[in-house]
Amino acid sequence: MKTIKLNKILLLALSLVVFSACVQDDDFDTPNVDVVNPVINGNIIDIDAVIGNLVQSGEDIITFEDTNNYMEGYVISSDEGGNFFEELVMQDKAENPTAGIVVQIDVNPLFTIYDFGRKVYVKLDGLSVAVDNGVVQIGRREGNDLAKIAASKMSETILRTSEVATIVPLEVSINDFSNDLESLYIRLNDVQFNRDDVLGDDVKTFAAEDTDEFDGERLLESCASSSSVILSTSTFSDFKSLLLPANRGSIDGILTRDFFDEFYTVVINSPEDINFTNDVRCDPIELSCGLATTTGMNNLFEDDFEGQTINSLISGNGWTNFIEAGSEGWEAYTQGGTNSSQGISARVGSFNSGDASTVAWLITPQIDLDANSGVTLNFETSNSFSDGSTMEVLFSNDWDGTEAGITTATWGIVSDAYVTQDSDFFGEWFESGNVDLTCGSGQIYIAFKYVGSGQSDFDGTYELDFVSIDAQ
Amino acid sequence: MKKSFFIFLFGIFSVLTSFAQETIVKGSVLDGTSGEPIPDVTITIEETGQTVKTDANGEFQFKGIVPLGEQVLKVEKTGYVTKRYPIVVNEGKTVDISGMTLDYDASDKTDLFIISISDDNLNSEDDGLTDNISGLLQASRDQFLNAAAFDFSATFFRPRGLDNANGKVLINGIEMNKQFSGRPQWGNWGGLNDVQRNQEFSMGMSANDYSFGDLAGTNNIIMRASKYREGGRVSYASANRSYTGRIMASYNSGLLQGGWSYSVLASRRYGDEGYVDGTLYDSNSFFAAVEKKINDQHSINFTGIYAQNRRGRSTAITDEVLDLKGRTYNPFWGLQDGEARNSRIREIEEPILMLNHFWDISSKTKLNTNIAYQFGKIGNTRIDNGGTRLVEFNGQTSYLGGARNPDPSYYQNLPSYHLRDPNPTAADFEQAYLAGQDFRNDGQLDWNALYSANATVRAQGGNSIYAIQEDRNDDSQFTINSILDTELSERVRLNAMVSYRKLKSENFANLKDLLGGTGYLDVDFFAEETPNIIGSLEDIAQSDRNNPNRIVLEGQRYKYNYEIDANVVTGFAQAQFKYNKIDFYLGANISQTNYQRNGLYDNGNFPGSRSFGKSEKLDFSNYGVKAGATYKVTGRHLVDFNASYFTKAPTIRNSFSNARQNNDVVIGLESEKIQSVDMSYIFRSPIIKARLTGFYSGFEDGTDIGFYFTEDLAGLGLDTGDAFVQEILTNVEKRHIGAELGIEAQVTPTIKLKAAASVGQYTFNNNPNLYLTSDDFEGPLTFGDGTTNIKDYHVAGGPERAYQIGFEYRDPDFWNIGLTTNYFSNAYIDVSNLARSANFTTDFDGQPIVGYDADIAKTLLKQEQFDDYVLVNVVGGKSWRVGDYFIGFFATINNIFDQEYKTGGFEQSRLPKYTRLLEDQTRDNGPVFGSRYFNGNGTTYYLNVYLRF
Repeated sequence: MKTIKLNKILLLALSLVVFSACVQDDDFDTPNVDVVNPVINGNIIDIDAVIGNLVQSGEDIITFEDTNNYMEGYVISSDEGGNFFEELVMQDKAENPTAGIVVQIDVNPLFTIYDFGRKVYVKLDGLSVAVDNGVVQIGRREGNDLAKIAASKMSETILRTSEVATIVPLEVSINDFSNDLESLYIRLNDVQFNRDDVLGDDVKTFAAEDTDEFDGERLLESCASSSSVILSTSTFSDFKSLLLPANRGSIDGILTRDFFDEFYTVVINSPEDINFTNDVRCDPIELSCGLATTTGMNNLFEDDFEGQTINSLISGNGWTNFIEAGSEGWEAYTQGGTNSSQGISARVGSFNSGDASTVAWLITPQIDLDANSGVTLNFETSNSFSDGSTMEVLFSNDWDGTEAGITTATWGIVSDAYVTQDSDFFGEWFESGNVDLTCGSGQIYIAFKYVGSGQSDFDGTYELDFVSIDAQ
Repeated sequence: MKKSFFIFLFGIFSVLTSFAQETIVKGSVLDGTSGEPIPDVTITIEETGQTVKTDANGEFQFKGIVPLGEQVLKVEKTGYVTKRYPIVVNEGKTVDISGMTLDYDASDKTDLFIISISDDNLNSEDDGLTDNISGLLQASRDQFLNAAAFDFSATFFRPRGLDNANGKVLINGIEMNKQFSGRPQWGNWGGLNDVQRNQEFSMGMSANDYSFGDLAGTNNIIMRASKYREGGRVSYASANRSYTGRIMASYNSGLLQGGWSYSVLASRRYGDEGYVDGTLYDSNSFFAAVEKKINDQHSINFTGIYAQNRRGRSTAITDEVLDLKGRTYNPFWGLQDGEARNSRIREIEEPILMLNHFWDISSKTKLNTNIAYQFGKIGNTRIDNGGTRLVEFNGQTSYLGGARNPDPSYYQNLPSYHLRDPNPTAADFEQAYLAGQDFRNDGQLDWNALYSANATVRAQGGNSIYAIQEDRNDDSQFTINSILDTELSERVRLNAMVSYRKLKSENFANLKDLLGGTGYLDVDFFAEETPNIIGSLEDIAQSDRNNPNRIVLEGQRYKYNYEIDANVVTGFAQAQFKYNKIDFYLGANISQTNYQRNGLYDNGNFPGSRSFGKSEKLDFSNYGVKAGATYKVTGRHLVDFNASYFTKAPTIRNSFSNARQNNDVVIGLESEKIQSVDMSYIFRSPIIKARLTGFYSGFEDGTDIGFYFTEDLAGLGLDTGDAFVQEILTNVEKRHIGAELGIEAQVTPTIKLKAAASVGQYTFNNNPNLYLTSDDFEGPLTFGDGTTNIKDYHVAGGPERAYQIGFEYRDPDFWNIGLTTNYFSNAYIDVSNLARSANFTTDFDGQPIVGYDADIAKTLLKQEQFDDYVLVNVVGGKSWRVGDYFIGFFATINNIFDQEYKTGGFEQSRLPKYTRLLEDQTRDNGPVFGSRYFNGNGTTYYLNVYLRF
């Protein structure tokens, strides 16, 4: 009797357990997450057309309404490494792109959705286009500014396709930089980081120096030309603490402008985009003996340019004045007012010259470092919106003294001489410092070399005065 | 210590020699419906408090000194309705009251507490807020404790301000409290209600036959095969609190020929969600016990429990989230393929095996020896969003990837975040509106986005960005103890116990699910080179320097991996004395506890022996003494008094400041010292029973550890003061003081009126020491004088005041109904300790904050008191007899007026600084980092239908 009862109850219990409501277990299948190509019921336009709309409007900001336009593009930025934040950079084609644009979205991360090379469509109605931080961007309008597209609107605004293209970087040189290349995925060949950042004991990181705020800005130099550009890396990036490489090679990244729209910068997605394989750097030879405490009484060469004829090229007094390229050379001038000269001074500048390239030299007579002791160099410089142009103080031991021999001679940098910077106040003159030349040897020439950026509307003027070379 | 105590005991014994009487009170107890004898019924002579239990034949006998005259016998057993029989005792005569009957209690309240307990316990991983002790109290017959167990427990009410780490749960005399937390893990024996009806509860520190006990009381659950009444039971329960359905079947053999008896149970509890959305419930429990009575002296019992439990968790939410989504909102779940999937699953699977030997050495002396082995795992899952990819560059290493917290209620997804600026723009309002709409309309976890992200990254050769991490705690514990119970004389009983517990605990993260990815890079994505930390990223990011940059697959350990060894030896002795006017007891306890951590990973943040290999061995010697007395003014008026002083070894959890990462022991770690007194006045007439108790407990040298992310720590420099920290609080003094009242009046044979009240004040009694540790800065960090100013703040944990009035109607026709109205007040938020330290007033450079206003600070730091509220509960049931079968149902509706209320909450310690907190608290559109609250359930029901035979 009891056993029967027990059997019954156990059977009942068992059946109850078996047939009771199931609770979803933990073994979920991986859902199908393949991207389904969107059906675009509208006009597909390219990025160039969007930028064109802004330019043609003459307005600072335009808003798309009832256009039913969709912008097509390929994603070229990745926030995987944290170097981009809540923005997507797109260009029109996977190869040989002609236009790029930035889309602001209030979502992080984006690389898990809009990965590098992904073809997307941006539904433009309701969005606005404007130049922000120097580049053309898309977002929501907030007054006359742009704001990020809301997270909740992202998936209906930026439509993914299943296509992930191989993005071929556009090979350009720094001298080629222009508005047209902004927000494109470019490759710079044969570049290196500036020697001050990567040589010596204190090698800099991408963006983890005490002085880095928001971005670490590092000078990338071309070995092929004397041009350079800033590599900008976010202090929130995952690779900010990596040390910069000292060798040279190519780098792939997105060309953009700095926050204040003052200069071009290149931004990389990942340190893997830096492909430096050549261990031989292309640094200039340097003469760097520091600053001397005293200036000798024995003047070896001196010019305050008072003897020069204004508005004429500098001549006489042992100077070699050579225009290597373009139409502009060192000339004498006077000027009053805020940006005044010091009596008669020397200057060179290619602003609005129309020259494709400007290179101008002003070279002192030969100085004998062996025969003289305690040789020092002094001069003063000022600038007027030097912008893209540069002025360097160079030296040579092997120049033959002829104009023809200038470009073939070996020129090094007198690196301790202070030359005015673009950020200096244009009205002021700056002393070079009492530059010590005693660690050099033999017969040397000192040259003041001006190089325009190649865009003469972006070049400025350097001014020079009170050049003096002395010995004990 | 112990030796002298024994001498003391025996001294008393020899002086108070008893003198025999011939008066006898004996009888037997039968089941009111089946007529079968009931064993283990407690019979009490109310005036003197003398108790005996019925034997297997339902018979009992009071031997020795019995009070004369009119007496009341109380006859009670869990699961039955208590009865009181008046008798007249004449000197030298025998009173034989055979055939007393007890009726089965259809109200079956024991089911109820299991629900509320497991609910509450589920959330109690770290906060300690939600651990109430009502599970301990269910076996009590005390009106106040009944109210606490069944009506107050829904709101985290804690009798005397104590949580369940202050109570002891024993099964067959073996302590079940976890060494890690000191708390009983209720899930380990959940779903076994039918076989847990035999419980012995001793209130507070009063005398207990098995153990020294603890402040909140001791509950011994007797799960011996021979102690179950013969018969079976099948039941089905439906509810909407935690599980939605429960089926349970059990059968007990009773004593069979050959001395055998057995008991079996199987149950299943299930539900896709409870009151809170997405809280799945999936639990299967099995129980078997076999006992062999070898002869009159020896019995051997085996009990095996397998209670597997898998549940979806929920969390405390801010008022902003509550307003948008309501109190059933749970951010942890989302739809996947149309099914709700909870990202935070707790799974418990810790079977218990025990062997019990019962030896009746003589009619007066019993020795019970037990061995138990418990093993298995506890797992808690969560989404890991720190997946990265190794990028080697220029001979250096970096880790690219990681993602933001995918929690839909993440603060940046909420309107308040978009409106955080002092003067939000129109666009900010638009963003806030869109965010609010999005959250209101969806607001759940987007599983597809996680899978899609992993698939996208995988297509480019990357590792999983998202994964499911399961924090595992795999314990195996061996316990052996011996419990002696001997009647030294008719007036003196001696209890003694020795025990040894050995625990090996493996703790690690298990990679549960790659969410469609191929592997996970085992480095700390959040590791960062900061000015406050020395070392290269590649080094510090490693979970295990012995296996750097390892790709982990599903089912493998990662992140952290360590063992804890713990050994506890305990000895306990107690003497109980019973006299006509006074009963008293004395007890003492000594124990030796040691812990050692053994790091299996060489953590990059704490390289070498700081994390790898064995830690310092911690050793604690503890002791306790207690004494108490009941003075019987008359049979109706009693005064009861208990006092104790004892020390408790810190739990494992509170001994190692950051066990997941290193071997560091809490600085200044001490055993907690506890002193407690309570005094009660007990009144009982044939109609009214009442108890009024005043209590005081003092705690010293307490320790507490918390974990959180915080911003702008003082003295760590500008913009470099953010850290994930461990907050270690030591030298914590608390004072619990208050009074509780329970009264019930049987106004008619069918109607009982009842009332209960508790008024307490549970406060910190000093300014404890506070220090922080972290892998984001070196060394322990203290602020100012190294303390936090929380003296006189309330200890959080449910309302300090609770009041109940109610009635029960019990119809002779086997149906009953009851109603209680419960009023709660004076519940307080758990304050941020860090915000009460000098960190609050100190700036990034270690200097005082400029513009600090003490008056404003005072309002910012005022402890929030929650609103008062009223909960009305109804219970009722009926049973029928059909032939040999009994069919019945029992139902409750809780909170029938759907009252909204907060059961608890805590301040976030994210902005523990004057300037930041002021900014956040005074935002026009609500704080971004507001306090988080546990919200009480609305109206819920529970219905149980059963068949018994």
